[in-house]
Amino acid sequence: MSCKNGNLYQPSIVVLDEVRDEIKDVKTFFFHFENKTQEDTFRTFMPGQFAMVSIFGAGEMAISLPPSPTEDRLFFTTRKVGSVTNAMHGLKPGDKFGVRGPYGNGFPMKDYEGRNLIIVAGGIGLIPLRSVILYALHNRSKYGKIQVFYGSRTPTDLMYTENLSQWQEDKGFECYLTVDKPDESWKRNVGVVGSLFKLPGVEMPVPDTTVFVCGPPIMFRFVLADLITMGFKDENMVSTLERYMKCGVGKCGHCCIGVAYVCTDGPVFTLEQIRKLGEVI
Amino acid sequence: MRGRIIHKSDLVKIVEALMKTHRVVAPFAGRGRDSYFDVVTNENKNDIAIHVANPYYPPKRYVFPHMHKLMTIKAGDKPSIEPNCVDEKVAVFGMRSCDVEGVFHLDRFYLGNAFKDTYYEEFRNNLFIVNMVCTDTKTDIDDDCFCVCADAGTAAKAHFDLQLMDLHDESGEFLAVAGSEAGEALISQPFFRKATLAHVSRRKSVLGEVRKRFKTATSWYSAVTKYITHGGEIKDATWKKIGDRCLECGACSYVCPACTCFTVTDRPAGDGTFNRVRVWDACALSGFTRMAGGHNPRKAVHDRRNRRFFRKLSHYFIQREFTMACVGCGRCVRVCHGDIGMPQVVEILRRETAALLQQEKA
Repeated sequence: MSCKNGNLYQPSIVVLDEVRDEIKDVKTFFFHFENKTQEDTFRTFMPGQFAMVSIFGAGEMAISLPPSPTEDRLFFTTRKVGSVTNAMHGLKPGDKFGVRGPYGNGFPMKDYEGRNLIIVAGGIGLIPLRSVILYALHNRSKYGKIQVFYGSRTPTDLMYTENLSQWQEDKGFECYLTVDKPDESWKRNVGVVGSLFKLPGVEMPVPDTTVFVCGPPIMFRFVLADLITMGFKDENMVSTLERYMKCGVGKCGHCCIGVAYVCTDGPVFTLEQIRKLGEVI
Repeated sequence: MRGRIIHKSDLVKIVEALMKTHRVVAPFAGRGRDSYFDVVTNENKNDIAIHVANPYYPPKRYVFPHMHKLMTIKAGDKPSIEPNCVDEKVAVFGMRSCDVEGVFHLDRFYLGNAFKDTYYEEFRNNLFIVNMVCTDTKTDIDDDCFCVCADAGTAAKAHFDLQLMDLHDESGEFLAVAGSEAGEALISQPFFRKATLAHVSRRKSVLGEVRKRFKTATSWYSAVTKYITHGGEIKDATWKKIGDRCLECGACSYVCPACTCFTVTDRPAGDGTFNRVRVWDACALSGFTRMAGGHNPRKAVHDRRNRRFFRKLSHYFIQREFTMACVGCGRCVRVCHGDIGMPQVVEILRRETAALLQQEKA
C-alpha cells in the first residue's frame, strides 16, 4: 500500500444519476461509480454497513447504506441537517462526489439464516434497515417469519413509500405501519411503534428470533422495554449506532464509545454488546 | 545488540552522517526552561542541546504532524483527487525514551489494527530515531517526569534506530546501541569505538543513579487500571470533581506523545480546489463528539475527561496496543492549568475510589 496506490483515505469519484424527494428535508441520491472496478469492489457491502461520502468543498461524512447488495441501483438517503448534507442536497443529476467504503461490520445476515426476523424502525431509522428487509426478501427461503413494524410522526413522514406499498401487498411477510398524528386519509394504526405489537392478530415469535431496532433514542428506549417484557433476550436484539466520524477506519477517535470504535467494531451491535461497552449511550 | 563508544565531541558527526540522507531535527535550548525541536543546518549543528529539558511540543509530529494535507481536491465538472505523498526522510536526533515509546504506541495504533493508516506508514518508514537517554538529573528530568511509572524510561528498551547515553565520566564518553539495521550501519562508522565490559557496567550504575531522581513520581497505575477496566467502581462524583478542574483547552492532548485523534476538514485553496487536511483534535473540546443536528453524546466535561483516561488506561486498549497510552513524559502535568495531568488524575481516582468503596462496605 502506498499513498498513490491503495490510499486508505482516497475517495472514488461517483456520478449522481437521480435525486428523489422522500419526505421533508430527506432525499435519496442514486449514483454510479466512474470506474467500474471500483464499483464492483464497493458492491461487496452487506446490510448495516456504511460509507464515507465526500461532497467536494464541504467535507466528508459517514452515512449508512440503504440499498440491499441484491439490488441493481446504488443510492444514499440523507436528511438535510449539517453542512455536508446541506451541500449534498444542493447537488443535481450529473454532479460528481466522492465515496469510499464500505466500512463497518454490518448485520451478520448469514448467521441469522433459519431465524425469524423482526424489524422495528422509527422515522429515518428505516434507512439502514431497508437494506436488511430487501436482502431478507431476496433470500426469502433462508429465513423464517419476517415482520416489519414501522412508525413515523405523520403519514407524510413515512420513508420509501414505493417499497412500503409494495410490502403491504407482499404475501411473504407482514408489514405494520403506524403514525403518531394521522391526517384525514390515514386508515391504519395510530400510536407509537410499540402499540403495533399489541394489535390483534400480531403474533411475535420469541424463540429463534432476531429483532432489529433502529430509530430515535426515545423510541429506542420504549421499544426495548416492550421487547424485554415480551421475553426477548439482549443477545437477540441488534441495532446500529451512529456517531460523529471523520475517518471511518478506526483512526480519528471521534466515534469511540467505551471500548468500541463504532466504525470498525460496529456500527452493528447487539444490545448485549452495547451494555458491555463501558460507557452510557 | 552491539555497544559502541563515541566521544562527546564526535556526536555532531552522527548528525552530519544523517544529514547526507535525511532532514535532521534536534532539540535546541531556548530561553529559560524553553526548548524546541528544529531542523539542523550547518550553521546551527554545533548548538544542538544534548542535555536540555524535553520540548513541550512532542516529536510525534514527525510521524503525525499537527496539520497535514492529505490530498488536493479539484471540484467542478471533472473532479480530481491528488494525494499528497510523503517521501522526505527525517531523522530525529535526541528523541527521549518517553517519546520513543510514544511513537511505538502510535505504530501499534495506526498500523496494528484492522486498517493501516497510509500517511502514518509513509512518515514512519521515512523516520530514523536517535534516542538520547535522560541521564542529567538537573536538566533532562524534572519533578513532573514519571516515565519510571509508565515503564517507558529512562532508557528505551527498543523501537529506536540508535540509542545514545551519556556515561558521565571525565572522558566524555557516550554509549551507543543500534536498534535496527540502519542503526547498525551507522555505528560501524570509524568515529565509533568498541565498548568494553566496564562501559556496560558503567551504564548500569548511571541508570541506577538516575532512577533516584524520580522521588515525586507517584503515578501508580495498577489499581486505577483495574478500577477503570471493571467499570462502575469509579463514581460519577469523582469524575465530576476532575471535570470541574478541566478548562477544556485540549492542551493535554496536543502535547501528548501517545494521543492519536484527529479531525479532517476541506480548506479552500482558490480556483475551485480544496485542501483536505487532517488536524490534531482533542477529546477535551466540547465539539469532539457533536453530531450533525447538534446532538452531543458526550456533552458534559466530566464525561469527556472520563473518556480521556478510560481510553488511555483501560485494559482492553492496553491489550490491543501492548502499552497503555501514557508514556510518563509529564507534559500534560506541565501544561494543565487545572492541575489534572495524568499523575494527579491517577492519584485522585486511586484515593477517592478506595475511600468510596470503603464507605460502601461500611
